Amino acid sequence: MTPWTHHGAALLYLLAAVIGGRKAATRPASRSFEWLLCGGVALHAIAFVRFHRLDPPISLESTAAALSVIGWLVASTFLLSLRFAKTLAVGRFVAASAFGFTAAASIGLHLRSSVALPGPAGAWPHAHVLLAAAGFAALAVASLAGLGYLVKERLLKARRRAAPELPSLESLDRLGVFALSLGFPLLTLGVFSGFVWALGAGGSLWTRHVVMSLVAWGVYCVPVGARLLRGQGGPRLARSLVVGFAVLAVCYLGTRALELVS
Amino acid sequence: MSILLVGLSHRSAPLEVRERHAVATSECGAVAEKLVQSSEIDEALVLSTCNRTELIASVRDSDLGAARLREFLLHEIGDGTLEPGQYYERVDGAAVEHVFRVAGSLDSMVLGEAQILGQVKQAYAAAARAQSVGPVLHRLLQRAFRCAKRMRTETGLGDASVSVARVGVQLAGELFESLAEKHVLLLGAGAMAESALHGLRDAGATSLVVVNRSRERARALAAQLGGRAAPLATLHDEVARSDVTLASAQVVEPLVRRRSLEPLLRQRHGRPLLIIDLGLPRNVESALAEVETLYLYDLDDLEAAARRGADARRTAIAPAERIVAQERRTFERWQSGLSAAEVLRDLVARGREIARTEAQRFAPPDAESEGERALERATQAAVAKLLHPALERVREEAEEGTGPYYSLALRELFRIGERPGSRPAGGEADLASRVSGIPRAEPVAGSRGGAAEPGAGKDGEDRED
Repeated sequence: MTPWTHHGAALLYLLAAVIGGRKAATRPASRSFEWLLCGGVALHAIAFVRFHRLDPPISLESTAAALSVIGWLVASTFLLSLRFAKTLAVGRFVAASAFGFTAAASIGLHLRSSVALPGPAGAWPHAHVLLAAAGFAALAVASLAGLGYLVKERLLKARRRAAPELPSLESLDRLGVFALSLGFPLLTLGVFSGFVWALGAGGSLWTRHVVMSLVAWGVYCVPVGARLLRGQGGPRLARSLVVGFAVLAVCYLGTRALELVS
Repeated sequence: MSILLVGLSHRSAPLEVRERHAVATSECGAVAEKLVQSSEIDEALVLSTCNRTELIASVRDSDLGAARLREFLLHEIGDGTLEPGQYYERVDGAAVEHVFRVAGSLDSMVLGEAQILGQVKQAYAAAARAQSVGPVLHRLLQRAFRCAKRMRTETGLGDASVSVARVGVQLAGELFESLAEKHVLLLGAGAMAESALHGLRDAGATSLVVVNRSRERARALAAQLGGRAAPLATLHDEVARSDVTLASAQVVEPLVRRRSLEPLLRQRHGRPLLIIDLGLPRNVESALAEVETLYLYDLDDLEAAARRGADARRTAIAPAERIVAQERRTFERWQSGLSAAEVLRDLVARGREIARTEAQRFAPPDAESEGERALERATQAAVAKLLHPALERVREEAEEGTGPYYSLALRELFRIGERPGSRPAGGEADLASRVSGIPRAEPVAGSRGGAAEPGAGKDGEDRED
């Protein structure tokens, strides 16, 4: 039985996405949006505590729980990033993503259809799931910033109309870099802890899951390297953030889907 | 109790007339203080900007109050040369609506400009310091600020830019989070570029470089604007280093070439560059617009954006007017409640006074004090019972918004607020005109006649002299 707090968190994310989408520019709406997102994050955190108190407890290593963690981290990372960049206008997309992940997790937890990961439970599986989910969430925010950058850039280049509903290019660039510098190390640690876990489980290292994770990690090395070595920003970085996340999402969700089917 | 507004603005008087009737910002408080020293004026506020001078007051008698405000504007602020038609008067609802429209910039020369709200706030602060505002004007101004805020947030009035210079500043805001540490390059010295440059500096830009064919002119302009001058030979390097370039030099062919600039832009690693070309012929090769991370806007683009801004603001007028009407109704409900409360208080006091007087008059000369008190209590009770239905009705009507008519009728019927033996100003004709909303046939000379201002109230109170 999924805790009602989990459904409540999903509902608050949905409301935040609706309010953020309706009038992101007005101050009262922005305040309501922030409060709803904060409420969703708080309720979601309570849901995680209740996961462990259920009988039997919901393990964080299940796919549905991992999706839920990603949803929570997407919203939390974004709220944290608001302290560094004025990017409230992309909040509606972030809230919609958080809702998508949390709602999918709610359905998965309800159906109990998620596949348990192989090997014994312990610290490494937990570390892997939490680190990978955190990295995934931060990189999701980075890709949203990249997407916003590309849309805004296109509108400005066309010289037809301004796009005041989106933050400035500089803000979006800064949000992308912030989320990338948070997400990439977490993803790296997630991949590393996954290796250790796989080694401990005694299975093959070169499973579909491991290979796909390495592919996604490798794709992200390109923007990270360009940023670190040359200070690359702008549309090139934005494009690599969007492509990188698309590859990561396909690798992760594709592998999970195949596991569910097989 | 009435709210009055007497004033002149860019809609009614030419600049030289407005100049003669302007009040210095530092003097507005003192002028308002002087106004409330008149017995006709309870509360007053003076708003004086380059486009208007308006006296706003709360008065007990609207005719006497209007005469005093008119006299003050004509002879104490002005030199008595103001002609009928160059100033206007607004009474009650129309005055309230006018204040709301002014605060929300619906009455401004540039629709949607933000400066006027700050000026109204300054005028209110000055009047508050001079203690010339009381509960009525305090409430009126608070509603005006709320109304202006609603207009901006709910209709987007003022979001879009309508001048070429302002569009340039807005474009910079689309690219950069803040202009605080951004480098601005000024190529040439056109008036429009200077205007845009001032806008950028107001938005926080501090680093400025001036490039001009004449090194002396560049140095002089840089010194004037607090920047540094650079030779024309380094133009492409300076453009590549800048974040915003404003170009408005007199040229025969473009000075900034793609072939020279594009290689230098690679060093920017994706940092956006905004070039606003205000020159005619153009200063910047149009092929540069194809370069990634370079955003090039010329005069046509800026003028088109300014036109779109003006259109966007015009579409915001109708919803903004609806907000004004809503806020006016809210204020009038409050005002009618206030005046009904005054009437009820006065009526009860009058009843008690009559009961006491009559009890004293009819008490037998040899009666003991207890009997006299009993007679007074009985008379008080009879008066209270007689007045009760009327009081209840006025209270109910005040909530419905028709309270002022009942309050006025009670004032006239019971002669509340009059000195014994005096006649009310205007008498039955005045009462009929106020209750029906139809103006009196013979208005006081110089007051409330003439054509209504476009977009003003529709209730017959909104007239200009």
